[in-house]
Amino acid sequence: MTGKQSVLIIGGGIAGIQASLDLAGRGFQVYVLEETPTIGGRMAQLDKTFPTMDCSICILAPKMMECFRHPNVKLLTYSELKEVKGTVGNFQVKIKKKPRYVEETKCTGCGVCAEHCPIEVPNEFDMNLGMRKAIYMPMPQAVPRAMTIDKENCIECKMCSKICQAGAVNYQQEPQTIELNVGAIIIATGFDQYNPSEIVEYGYGKQKNVLTALEFERWVCASGPVGGHLLRPGDGGIPKKIAFVQCVGSRGSKFGAPFCSSVCCMYATKEALIVREHAPDVNVYIFYNELRAFGKGFHEFINRARNEYGVTYIRSRPGEIKEDPKTKSLSIWYDDTLTREIKTLGDVDVVVLCPALLPREGNKKLAGITGVELDSSGFFKVTHPLLAPVDSTVPGIYVCGYCQSPKDIPDSVAQASAAAARAAESLAMVQVTPKGGTK
Amino acid sequence: MCSGRVEPAFILNAFENGADGVLVAGCHPGDCHYRAGNNYAEKRVEKTKKLLDVLGIGADRLRLEWISAAEGEKFGSVIKDFTEKLRVKGPSPLGGRELKAVPVKQNSAESIHDILKRTKALYCQECGKCSSSCPITRLDPSYSPRLAVEKALMGLENDVLTDKGLWSCLTCYLCRQRCPLDIEYDELIRTCRAKASSNGINGQCAHEGILFSLSRLMARKETSQNRLTWVPEGAEIAKTGDIMYFVGCSPYFNVMFDDVGVNNIEIPQSMLRVLNAAGIKPVVLENERCCGHDLSFSGDLDNFEKLAKINVAAIKKSGVSKVVTTCPECYRTLKLDYAEYLGKQNLEILHSSEFLTDLIANGKIKFDGKISKKVTFQDPCRLGRHMGIYDSPRKLMTSIPGVELIEMERNRENSICCGVSAWMNCSRHSKQMQVERLAEAKRTTADLLVTACPKCQIHLNCTMSEKLPVKKEDVVIETCDLSVLVARAMNLTPSP
Repeated sequence: MTGKQSVLIIGGGIAGIQASLDLAGRGFQVYVLEETPTIGGRMAQLDKTFPTMDCSICILAPKMMECFRHPNVKLLTYSELKEVKGTVGNFQVKIKKKPRYVEETKCTGCGVCAEHCPIEVPNEFDMNLGMRKAIYMPMPQAVPRAMTIDKENCIECKMCSKICQAGAVNYQQEPQTIELNVGAIIIATGFDQYNPSEIVEYGYGKQKNVLTALEFERWVCASGPVGGHLLRPGDGGIPKKIAFVQCVGSRGSKFGAPFCSSVCCMYATKEALIVREHAPDVNVYIFYNELRAFGKGFHEFINRARNEYGVTYIRSRPGEIKEDPKTKSLSIWYDDTLTREIKTLGDVDVVVLCPALLPREGNKKLAGITGVELDSSGFFKVTHPLLAPVDSTVPGIYVCGYCQSPKDIPDSVAQASAAAARAAESLAMVQVTPKGGTK
Repeated sequence: MCSGRVEPAFILNAFENGADGVLVAGCHPGDCHYRAGNNYAEKRVEKTKKLLDVLGIGADRLRLEWISAAEGEKFGSVIKDFTEKLRVKGPSPLGGRELKAVPVKQNSAESIHDILKRTKALYCQECGKCSSSCPITRLDPSYSPRLAVEKALMGLENDVLTDKGLWSCLTCYLCRQRCPLDIEYDELIRTCRAKASSNGINGQCAHEGILFSLSRLMARKETSQNRLTWVPEGAEIAKTGDIMYFVGCSPYFNVMFDDVGVNNIEIPQSMLRVLNAAGIKPVVLENERCCGHDLSFSGDLDNFEKLAKINVAAIKKSGVSKVVTTCPECYRTLKLDYAEYLGKQNLEILHSSEFLTDLIANGKIKFDGKISKKVTFQDPCRLGRHMGIYDSPRKLMTSIPGVELIEMERNRENSICCGVSAWMNCSRHSKQMQVERLAEAKRTTADLLVTACPKCQIHLNCTMSEKLPVKKEDVVIETCDLSVLVARAMNLTPSP
């Protein structure tokens, strides 16, 4: 299909999926570029969503499948963007498709190969809490449903190729360069979680019972590394007290990010509710800085957590989280800023840090390839923050989701639809300007 | 007043105020109403004489005499004799009384709002991270960094300046280290103290303020000290060269704190021997002044500035390109606070731990001996959090054959202050912090607590030398300065 009828979407998370479905539905050819072996992005890692408490993958997986099966969508997973040339209506794009060493078309995703693979490494999808094999599918609902061999860890024992009945394993696969001609590009690269080990007083990385929020999501997820059982990560004990700490690395000038990630107050409350639903006898505390529950039904959600579920909210950024060397339980030093009392919350089994969510490191490279500009925080710049919230600084390239500014799932989806509409609009404009100008 | 009450600080104060000599007269030994008052007086006067010698004022300007209330004649003759001798000696080398100028330093004229702006405190989110980290707040919640900032933000200038808590702060930097907004609490406190001080409000000084007297006396141009008597026989120092060793106040501390079980002078002596062994003959200033750190952190910016100018002039005159300090406070002061006086001088300031680590890396220092000891390390606030040096002291210790380093629970960025800073507000909270810290060191099962700051060593040893509400064996641990440890490992000084 010619450039003017097709769109490249960079990032296969919920924003990228939504934009691709919108455009495909309008008859455009869509290519979805995703760097990991599966689409789904961060939303696929979440256990539940706020404020509806839907099972995240349950509402996402149908969309992922729809994307996969749509005749107008081509998924380019496990791929990297190499080059972009041209202008709106006529971008020439080069993409490197990394070898999976498994034929996507032949693999049925039965997983028998992984059962036989002797190599175990931490699973990135489970935030390294669980293990996967060197031949693996990141999650059971992966799309496309095909295995991938992680060549770095593979010892080439050939066990998988011997066991595979479909004959899908192919060690000879080479990186493939795909050249596309597209009329518009949508960037939806999402976020990375700030690594809080730099904030030494919280002991993340040293104290086993200190988790990050995304780790917690995998931890309580039924399809996660511990089957969703609410047990202490350090020793498998039954927790009685769980605390959440907000603004870890966000809204600061020293570590992490100067901005508010906008979702932590809400997801911490959601996670607190998940804890109470799993185990009503666990006491849950949320250390917050300000409660930013600005969306529809959000404040009510927090009130429900407080009043119906008995979640304790404490206005404080704790000073220190200290592990008892013997019991591995944690004590949290804090200043209750509403009552002005310096206190210690002792015998806490698990502390969940809610780290800043940062625009992805790879955005810089992407900006270099595409020519779009980033702002000082690393988000993609738009031509007008109020009136053109999805137009990047290059005509024909649009941005949506967290990579444009901090936002939650519904806003990412809405913005993805907006970006899709703007992309479609630019292609329509191209049709009336024969020389492919931007008009 | 009982002669036992005459603190060395009072005597120095008299000299500061222009006295040419001081006579301490007390009841005869055995006649003391309080049994031992005059014994104390004797010890104190001895100590003060030593300080006067180092200061260059001379011990003979201080005299102790036993004169009872009934010995009018003796009183008369002693006074006559002493004044006669002083007349022969001439006036005090310090000159007459220095009229205290009204502090005009710019910083104290700065408005609270400007201070808040400069230290970034205007961005405070009142999240409480500072206050829950502050070691003082945890013991005494009536003071907290957050409350201080909040009061200032509310414009309650008077409350801020008259708050006793202003002087409780250790400026240990733990709150600033952890503050997500990097609010410069240490600087906020330093400037507010200067402001309070210029309004006549001062904190409570430890040792009756004698250490401030010493610093102030050193800030006088006329002062000509006699401070090189510590240089051990056979050791070599130079008048000119490339590397300066800035000794710090050890010659004074050595006199002041001989009763807490610290041999402070060992630090410069060891350092000098190590440098000599590495083929370095360092420049040591014969009239080096206090760096002024304590004055700067206790509100006396005037005298700080004087000290800074004198030291900077001497350093510039010496023509050195590197200055090495063993004291982290000197290090911070020279490197950060002298910057505006040094200008664009091409001068490298190094802490001994950095300098010695480099010497080891270059093969200039070799360890013949072995020290089979488990050691733990107290990070000095000024070296660690203030200046970000955590690795070089550790590298230095562990490069000594046989030394095994065991970290305390709270180490590096999370380390806890030794309990007192700038000789201010040594309180029961200080003692509690010291007892807890020593117990922490003890729990590591280490044999030796190594420090890199003479003051940390003094403070921790002071607590160990006192009566304590805990079992001695739970807190008493041998302490040693980093450079002393290195010298011992090189067989340059004997291990105790």
